[in-house]
Amino acid sequence: MTLPVNIDFDSLKPEEFEHILPDLFATVDGKVSQDPRLKKFLAANPDCAALVSDLEIIAETARSLFEPVAEPSDRVWQNIQAKLQEDSALASIDDDYIDPDAPID
Amino acid sequence: MNCQGQLMTQPPPPRPHPGLFKRNPPIAGEAEAIEAAKRGDGEAFARLYDLHKRRVYTLCLRMLGNVSAAEDMTQNAFLHLFRKIESFRGESAFSTWLHRLTVNLVLMQLRKRGLNLVSLEETINPSDEDTPRRDFGSRDQVLAGSVDRVALERAVAALPPGYRMVFVLHDVEGYEHNEIASMLDCSIGNSKSQLHKARLRLRELLRNPSQLPQSPLPSAPAESVK
Repeated sequence: MTLPVNIDFDSLKPEEFEHILPDLFATVDGKVSQDPRLKKFLAANPDCAALVSDLEIIAETARSLFEPVAEPSDRVWQNIQAKLQEDSALASIDDDYIDPDAPID
Repeated sequence: MNCQGQLMTQPPPPRPHPGLFKRNPPIAGEAEAIEAAKRGDGEAFARLYDLHKRRVYTLCLRMLGNVSAAEDMTQNAFLHLFRKIESFRGESAFSTWLHRLTVNLVLMQLRKRGLNLVSLEETINPSDEDTPRRDFGSRDQVLAGSVDRVALERAVAALPPGYRMVFVLHDVEGYEHNEIASMLDCSIGNSKSQLHKARLRLRELLRNPSQLPQSPLPSAPAESVK
């Protein structure tokens, strides 16, 4: 889905607007309400303007969710440490491995 | 849509991502900890875990929706990190690299569990119940200029998995549609479409906050964005 090249924004109908809205959001960096091509259309179609406003608010609020709010229990780090120690022990076994077929000096 | 594409458990070759760089500024002491961790320094591992555990765990919890699964995935992500840390060349922010690794592991697990196929198909051919209503809604039902973060978190948790995945990757984590398409092995258009449907569904959910389920995430400060 890409934005059609020859859109007549002045004669846009609400159902056409709805169809191109996902692309509009992607092409104008989420600021559909500030797109000058849509100024007249949104002024004439307040329900479409309300939809755009709501979706922009949702996207904007979502960005604030990026900051972490949860912390794993201590069990997670304990398990990681145990696994890393296992890895380390296995590596040292590999280092100590003596090939039974190797010639004796 | 083919969702069976190859997933990498290794981080991909680092490449610049302006959005994520902006959101992942360098952390004091991180570079030294990375170099020490590459030499097998246990304290450096602990430092890196401390610096990044919350963000990795929150991402896992948001995408998996389950505390136990999120803790297992956090463990898995850090084990991968520590075992492969020598391959980190510093060409991208460390947290960007770690995020990508975590996202790939989560997606791999979802595919193993078969959830992705169901969830992503749902979003292409959603049932009547799942389809966001296509009406614009009457203006007395708009979101009144702001959304409470806690309510949004709960609404995100209530999304079908396919919608939630694309929404979290794009709107929360800051991935671009082309990156999401690559990760999910779908078209860019599909990623845009999924995101739009996710936002429409969230709008519906947020208009009826009393019906929202509890989020698995702890309550963040109840700020709203205006």
